[in-house]
Amino acid sequence: MRKVILYTVLIAGALMFIYPFLWMVLASLAPEQDIGNLALIPSSLTLKSYLQMFQKIPIFRAFFNSILVTASITTGVLVFGSMVGYALSRLEFRGRNLIFYIIIFTMTLPFQIILIPQYIIMVELRWVDTYLALIVPYMINALSIIMFRQYFKSIPQDLIDAARIDGCSEFRILFRILWPNAIPAMVTVGIIIFMTTWNEVLWPLIVIRKEELMTMPQLVTLFVVGGRAESQLGVKLASATMLAIPIILAYLFFQRYFIQSMATTGLKE
Amino acid sequence: MDKLTIFLHITIFTISIGLLGCSADRSSSGNELLYWSSNNTYEIEFARAMVKSWNKQNPQVNIRFQPVPEGQSSEEVILAAVVGETTPDIYSNMWQGDVESYARAGVLIPLDTLDGFLDYINERCDKRVIEEITSTDGHIYQIPWKINPIMLIYNEKLLSQIGFNQPPRTYEDFLEAGRRFHKDTDGDGYVDRWIGYAEVVVTWWQRFFDFYPLYLAASKGKALIKDNEVVFDNQDAIDVFRFLRKLYANNYFSLERLSARQDVFLSGIIATRFTGPWEIRHAERFKPKGFRYSFSTIPVPSDTLQNIYTYGDPKNIVIFNTCDNPAQAWQFLKFITNKQNDLKFLQMTRQLPRRKHLAKDSTFASFFDNNPKMIPFARQARYVKGTDSSPVLKEVFDIISREYEACVVYGEKSAKQAVRNAAEAARLIVR
Amino acid sequence: MLLKKKHIAPYAMVSPYIIHFLAFIAFPVIFSLVLIFHHWNIIAPMEYVGLDNFYRLFHDKLFFKAIGNTLIFLIIHIPLQIIIALFLAEVLNQKIKLRGFFRAAFFLPVVISGVVVTYLWQQLYGYDTGLINRILVNLGLGRVGWIINPDMAMPSIAFMATWKNVGLYVVLFLVGLQSVPPHYYEAADLEGASHWQKFRYITLPSINPTIFMVVILSTLGGFSLFIEPYIMTGGGPLNSTLSAMLYIYKQGFFFYHMGYAATLGFFFALIILIVIIIQRKVVERES
Repeated sequence: MRKVILYTVLIAGALMFIYPFLWMVLASLAPEQDIGNLALIPSSLTLKSYLQMFQKIPIFRAFFNSILVTASITTGVLVFGSMVGYALSRLEFRGRNLIFYIIIFTMTLPFQIILIPQYIIMVELRWVDTYLALIVPYMINALSIIMFRQYFKSIPQDLIDAARIDGCSEFRILFRILWPNAIPAMVTVGIIIFMTTWNEVLWPLIVIRKEELMTMPQLVTLFVVGGRAESQLGVKLASATMLAIPIILAYLFFQRYFIQSMATTGLKE
Repeated sequence: MDKLTIFLHITIFTISIGLLGCSADRSSSGNELLYWSSNNTYEIEFARAMVKSWNKQNPQVNIRFQPVPEGQSSEEVILAAVVGETTPDIYSNMWQGDVESYARAGVLIPLDTLDGFLDYINERCDKRVIEEITSTDGHIYQIPWKINPIMLIYNEKLLSQIGFNQPPRTYEDFLEAGRRFHKDTDGDGYVDRWIGYAEVVVTWWQRFFDFYPLYLAASKGKALIKDNEVVFDNQDAIDVFRFLRKLYANNYFSLERLSARQDVFLSGIIATRFTGPWEIRHAERFKPKGFRYSFSTIPVPSDTLQNIYTYGDPKNIVIFNTCDNPAQAWQFLKFITNKQNDLKFLQMTRQLPRRKHLAKDSTFASFFDNNPKMIPFARQARYVKGTDSSPVLKEVFDIISREYEACVVYGEKSAKQAVRNAAEAARLIVR
Repeated sequence: MLLKKKHIAPYAMVSPYIIHFLAFIAFPVIFSLVLIFHHWNIIAPMEYVGLDNFYRLFHDKLFFKAIGNTLIFLIIHIPLQIIIALFLAEVLNQKIKLRGFFRAAFFLPVVISGVVVTYLWQQLYGYDTGLINRILVNLGLGRVGWIINPDMAMPSIAFMATWKNVGLYVVLFLVGLQSVPPHYYEAADLEGASHWQKFRYITLPSINPTIFMVVILSTLGGFSLFIEPYIMTGGGPLNSTLSAMLYIYKQGFFFYHMGYAATLGFFFALIILIVIIIQRKVVERES
């Protein structure tokens, strides 16, 4: 009896979290007039909403932009984050503690204070409506530095010493010796950054005005709140589905890593 | 190359693609002028045709054409261009309400300083329009080009079903139509069809489709702000608020945000809506079989039935001060706004040129004969108002919009109170 | 040579961070101190106005309403989040099959863009044809004006945010629950402890740190509430879902009051810091 209740709760819970997405996907495939009364299975399936949406907004261009921005930022964060994390954890130099405290301090600094000035910097640098505005400010991330620093602390000194004796430069040690040994940290940081960047929408809304440079979340946001969908519900749902699909796919394949990464980052903060 | 080097190369490569994206060349020099139009498909076609024929006739001055880049809104894109000093020489989709703040920032060329402009403008527009487009500093920075008057579209069949063979023209009639039409069709205890719908969000420009045209109609085209003074706290504004409040209070208008749903006008969930001529193309494309619709004037108090004004959503042409050769730009503007080209514009885009006697002028007569749905708009064109000259116009509309929501949509305060509060708040920022 | 290189390497490694810090954090913070004394619409030159922005801020009812709204959001969101997450984590912590599947299902909304989630819920919350109201009507209950009733709108957004984030906290609580040694419960069973006693004296102390973390993370998230009201309600009805971030965005990017928006941002950041510091103090005292 207890089991029955347990599983009822679980299944009801799982349905609550999955069903809305299922509804969205099916509604985006349903004929426009069905959507208002749709519960689950539409009377027929059609790609019309998608075809119309492709004509109205450059969603593939936005997909490319999102990929470009996300890939650049994730790469940047991994490269720079591990560099700073390595220097802070394994190298001796003057000012090391100062930098560490600065990083901790910036992590507690609410971003609300720098949002407007940061936009003005973009204006002054003439970066508004360029990829630079989307990418450069996010290429370094304090949390990732802290995570790398922590992780590199656990790597045995012997490994580093051996490489130094071989005459490796510090950069070489980091990228050739430590990186292969730091896969778990890289995956964690990579997933977090990939996800937050992919879903970021406030900053693009601020610095990008031109459609050809918009990322997917921005384009879809403006599409669902704006008038270009000509009051057609299906096309809006189709655009939302397109935005969700890449992450859902990634999640289906790397579900375990997603959950672990998010959980460890949560624990770190 | 080892993996690391490849990896770094890819990084550099991706970043440099990003850099390339921003190196679009927008400078113009000497005898070339850069012209941006709106990015509406039909306007692009029109602009292309104009530029082509101009360049053929005037080889000494070359016009380069480009639609304003697609973006959040063309206003935002223009602002970004002004900030980045990448403005075109000529721009033909400037919302009239934005002109004053750009003029004050000194980025527009005062057109009245150009040769023959005053004669031109007097021929094109009547006194009222000229007064409307004159900046608070006495100069004129814009050519009134096109308008899309806001009118009442109505579903003929649905209205005749409730005994209205003529569209409701007064507040009284409209409320009566609302009373008869609102209904719970599926018997679930909730009204699910309404006489009309206006956006219930507070976004400032949504008031162009409800409060503002109603105010202009009731007041015969009064200003909201005149000579830097707030003047909208009058009986007309109160009447409009009161009328709209009745629509919501009695559930004749829907409180729900219907715009998140399918097109409620074409699916018969509402019977009327305040909208512009662009609705014709949309309706022709999406309407169900047998759907019949017409346009009528904005509802007014019963003592105002003559010369009913409305908002015209004017988009105008400006020359930016980055232009090296304003005299030549001016020649081009005279060319694209001459009568023949205005006709071409009307034919290609179905938007109205803003010039006097549009409905009576024989040049345009055959177009309207062939497009009877456009006739109400042409007749309306005489009684159209744009926006007042104020650099804080958006904020004023935002303030009105908030009071509108509190009074009209939610009935939190009386119409009188709401109008007074809006005027008080607006006085604080109008300078 | 080798020695020298070794001395340079650390600085070379931290230099990107330093440049980034100076350009995108230190400079903006300093610049915001300049901005708050100016009016600036970016197209015209900056205009020094002294304390005018502060004067305006302290008379700006809407801004304080927005902060109040943000607090209302937090007051609903945080307890709801903790209770639901704890409940689901407890259920998942039983001996069940397919635990991985259920965990993954609860976690799904966490990874999906807030844009999608919000637009989706806007449909679900629809008054007339929204799925939730259709179900309620079928059950013989009345409709609820989820996002059109000014008293309901913010709670509705808070509930949606809970739905979106709760999966993460389920996982965190699960980690906490599994760290409790099983023999504690066995011992308690021998002593004849009730469910509630076991929960109060064994489970709760072990997940206390997690609860504090959830509070702090949700608080930070709540203070940056933006896209949800932006898409779903535009801040309405009657400004009931206008969040502080949305208000700052509107001042900055609808009206281009850069000086004023920077002042709001500055002031809001102070409030956030104060709230966070108080929370930390409470946490320290409790543990």
